[in-house]
Amino acid sequence: MKAAGLLLAVLLAAGTAGAEDYLNCHFVPGWEPSGAKRQYAADNLFEYKDGGAEGYLSFGFVRLQGITCASGANTLDIDVSEMGDADAAYGMFAANLDSSLPIAKLGMGGQVEKQSASFAKGKYYVELVEVASNPDSDDTATMQAFATKMLEHLEGRETPPEVLEWFVKENLASIRLVPESVLGLRQLKRGYVARYPQGQAFIVQEESPEAAAAVLNSLRQGFEGATTAKVGDEAFQATAKYLGGVCIFRKGRTIAGYANLPEPQDASTQAFRLAARIP
Amino acid sequence: MAPTTSRRAFLSAGLALPVASASSKIDFWNPAEPAASAVKLDYKVLGRTGLKVTTVGFGCMITSDGSVIERAADAGINYFDTARGYSHGNNERMVGAALGAKRKQVVLSTKTHAPDKAGMQQHLEQSLRELNTDYIDIWYLHGHSSGDEIHDDMIEAQQTAKQQGKIRFAGISTHSGQQQLLPWMAQKGAFDVVLAAYNFTMDAGMEQAIATAAKAGMGVVAMKVMAGGIRSVRPGDPNYDKLTHPGALLAALKWVVNKPNVATTIPSITDNDQLEENLKAMGSKLSSGEEKLLAAHLEMIRPIYCRLCGQCEGACRKGLPVADVLRCLTYADGYGQFALGRERFLEVTTGREAIRCGDCAECTVECPHGVHVAERVARAQELFA
Repeated sequence: MKAAGLLLAVLLAAGTAGAEDYLNCHFVPGWEPSGAKRQYAADNLFEYKDGGAEGYLSFGFVRLQGITCASGANTLDIDVSEMGDADAAYGMFAANLDSSLPIAKLGMGGQVEKQSASFAKGKYYVELVEVASNPDSDDTATMQAFATKMLEHLEGRETPPEVLEWFVKENLASIRLVPESVLGLRQLKRGYVARYPQGQAFIVQEESPEAAAAVLNSLRQGFEGATTAKVGDEAFQATAKYLGGVCIFRKGRTIAGYANLPEPQDASTQAFRLAARIP
Repeated sequence: MAPTTSRRAFLSAGLALPVASASSKIDFWNPAEPAASAVKLDYKVLGRTGLKVTTVGFGCMITSDGSVIERAADAGINYFDTARGYSHGNNERMVGAALGAKRKQVVLSTKTHAPDKAGMQQHLEQSLRELNTDYIDIWYLHGHSSGDEIHDDMIEAQQTAKQQGKIRFAGISTHSGQQQLLPWMAQKGAFDVVLAAYNFTMDAGMEQAIATAAKAGMGVVAMKVMAGGIRSVRPGDPNYDKLTHPGALLAALKWVVNKPNVATTIPSITDNDQLEENLKAMGSKLSSGEEKLLAAHLEMIRPIYCRLCGQCEGACRKGLPVADVLRCLTYADGYGQFALGRERFLEVTTGREAIRCGDCAECTVECPHGVHVAERVARAQELFA
């Protein structure tokens, strides 16, 4: 019994050490740890992120581990948030990215700026924020170097969720994961929303075609004057006060559609293109 | 259904007139659809700002779609809150786009977490741009817990922004240390509004702090009106069904709305259903059934819910860090994070591994909030040690 307990303790210790391998100030020469590593869970993240904590929690936040590094008068906060799954980690990244900047090939996706970087890999969402003595200094190379080394130590998926490929690429402005109530509709529990100069598209996946059919039916009842559209396995189109021209369809277990277009016919046309891309 | 023009006229009147209330109808899907529910709008004056705000406002941080914000404004809600730091500015952009032409009909607040004047000014310009407006109604210093964190240049930045007409009123938002911070703000006199975490689980000390702020003329806005309370109940909890049935969250919101010193609240509103539910809190008293529901929940969590107030620090005669141990237990019991709980437990009890609660005939730690300390620490030792 004692041996088993000892083994458990060793395993736990090993697991803990491994989990923090990605937090290392020495990844880049000239940087040293400053202070102790920090760790927060869902119940005390408010102490660190204030109101911003709620955004993390909505994406299934599990825990955060972080470290502060120093190089001369410059400091760098590195925070690694473990989310519920890889989709949620990518969702956190997508919700927080700067849409005016390109997405870099860092894990599933990332962005590197002069004094900050963020990326997602597997179930991890990583943020690097430098406070430099010269606020205008360009430390992109340092950010990139830290990110690259951390990626070597973080496990998990490096490709974005497959569903992102289904959205029509032409004029695509941004894609984000909405953790609950897509389009403000509770029936659409969790899914991706793509924004275009005109309107937005969404994709939600249910457990089964039957479950998806039930959701679609429930949605249709909420849109007065909805008419049948010929998209996917079944669909309807309507005009709604706050969502404009809308077309929502089901293809297998996927519910998708377009909203905020001038007319429902416009939404149906776009939805038809989207449906063709969904396997 | 009431015509849209009537709603807008009413909204304007609500902002212009003294405290008022009236009935309005909202439609949640289509202009042609019959109203989903009758809404009684209720207003209070936000302290010395003189702003007439609906007692239920709108916390935009986790809102899923801008259409929910637009819908809320049409329904009559006239206080909307965001922050520079939410989603790295993406939230402000969504709020600005959603309010659109309705911007001037509502009270709009945002926050800066910048630690100095230059950073604050930069944030303000970004906020104005993202929110697509030329002024912010209330500009908060984001998430402070002590007067020591508020430097003179931060107050100066707020005052300068006021003189420039870029903001109308200055405030601080706070999640912790509130019972010290609010009296400090009241004494300082430089702030018009405080955004404080306040809900039914909090003690009389917090009520007193809020009363002090209100008496000094500050407008009080409450957030986290449900946090730490009903939302912490998990499936499997004996009260889960009762506390998560429609109306339970409404009770928590009504508890705050009915507090005389709170002018408005900013519950996070994700979707249309939640919006509709929250609107019902306006102008309605907490029923005895709802009071019992909240009391039952409070009583249920009292023996186990550590508020981390720190009053037990140093009280254990054996030197156990009681609050830290209870927090470890929360990781395991509350969040299912056994490994994390154990890992932290082993850290915080280093050097005190041999101490067992059962060794003491009587516990010297008395929690002012009623947590059964000895019982809980013993459970932590049984679970982790």
